[in-house]
Amino acid sequence: MSHTVLVVEDDVDIRQALIEIIEEHGFGALGAVDGADALKILSRATELPCVILLDLMMPVMDGAEFREAQRQDPRFASIPVVVLSAYRDLDRHAAHLDAVSVLRKPPSVRELVTVLRTHC
Amino acid sequence: MEITARPESSETGSPRSLEERFRALVSSVKDYAIFMLDPTGRIETWNAGAERTKGYTADEIIGQHMSRFYTPEDLARGLPAKLLGQAVRDGRVEIEGWRVRKDGTRFWADVVITALLDDRGQLMGFAKVTRDLTERLHAQEEQLRLAHAEEAVRLRDEFLSIAAHELRTPLSALQLQLQGLLERPAGVDPRIRAKLERACRSGERLVTLVDALLDVSRITTGSFSLNPSRFDLAEAVQDVVERFREHAARAGSTVTVRSEPGLEGRWDRLRIEQVVTNLLTNALKYAAGTPVEIVLSGTEHDVTLTMSDEGPGIPESEKERVFLRFERAAPMRNFGGLGLGLYVARQIVEAHGGEISLAAGRPRGAHFVIRLPRAHLVGGTG
Repeated sequence: MSHTVLVVEDDVDIRQALIEIIEEHGFGALGAVDGADALKILSRATELPCVILLDLMMPVMDGAEFREAQRQDPRFASIPVVVLSAYRDLDRHAAHLDAVSVLRKPPSVRELVTVLRTHC
Repeated sequence: MEITARPESSETGSPRSLEERFRALVSSVKDYAIFMLDPTGRIETWNAGAERTKGYTADEIIGQHMSRFYTPEDLARGLPAKLLGQAVRDGRVEIEGWRVRKDGTRFWADVVITALLDDRGQLMGFAKVTRDLTERLHAQEEQLRLAHAEEAVRLRDEFLSIAAHELRTPLSALQLQLQGLLERPAGVDPRIRAKLERACRSGERLVTLVDALLDVSRITTGSFSLNPSRFDLAEAVQDVVERFREHAARAGSTVTVRSEPGLEGRWDRLRIEQVVTNLLTNALKYAAGTPVEIVLSGTEHDVTLTMSDEGPGIPESEKERVFLRFERAAPMRNFGGLGLGLYVARQIVEAHGGEISLAAGRPRGAHFVIRLPRAHLVGGTG
């Protein structure tokens, strides 16, 4: 398993901040602007990410649609997903997504790094 | 109005008595002003409804011109003559407008003027029926004002929801950037660290304010729902108090919790923590420097949380208002905030089937009392 995290987030500033934090803490990071972009990146990847950090509300293909497509593709189905969302009651929103963890936006750096260390 | 005479042979009597009875009927009608005009518009008859509507007695008004009931604006444009002319031309005319009573006050009238012609088609005069619709007009205006107010509230809620969502995203990015700097593995210069920590705290406050707006928009749109699980209320309260330790120290307050054992129930933990957070935030803001005490107790069916401070308290007259949206007991210029904390707290408590109130008759300080049923069939509040 690689040490690369795929960050799926439509907001460029949040995506960039997450990538920088992840890289500063010793992981690799790739960014996708929405679920469809993430599927493309996964299809082209020579090495699959150790975890996918997934936003829920995104244009084109949102988090739930991406998760559905990911679970149906045997190549990517086993990659653990950490859901990241602004919903206060995001446990309920993420319940059906079978995520290994759910983090509320903005996550604290410590909880983010702890989660990544668990899976990467 | 249409009156049909019955045959002469019936018990209604002779045509003369029928006419008399018809006159009596017209003169006793109180809801309509019904009277006759001569061909020039001078008043010839007067009924009870006319006296009631316009304020003149028959003696005062008979022989006067009907233009007396018209406003100066309508007189200036020659409305009375125009209406009579239209009634002659078309047979009748109906119009709504302001008319003037004897005492000078105005009323909104529905007026029907019918031209009365003899067998040869010569004009004998006019029948005029006037109805006072002022109350109906006021009711319609009130309804319109209410509709406008409701629309304004809807637009405000929609704006709040959009604004809150739009603010949340850049705020998250800002918080991440600040935290990223603070938590750099390489470390941060201590002077910069202090500044970053202050910036982070401000960011957290902004997130809290925006979240309160989002909660309000969820409550008003009915998309606010609960996610219940079983837990001990004392543990949740203790968690919140622990998170507030630094905040309380800065406010110069101590927060103590006294609790009975076994306060388990089925509630939405995040939301219950939010209620405690909102009350504690208020206590540390409005009663800074005084001790805050939280007491938890339970019965078989429900648990009670009271939170007391020794601050200025809330006047009796304000004790219900503070639970409304955008309301506060303290003047806005003295304290920040949106005035949403207690509103959201009440919505959450009530969604759990519970109650939140301010205890009455305490000499000083605010004393909040929350009662929560241990189990409640929860759903959306909408």
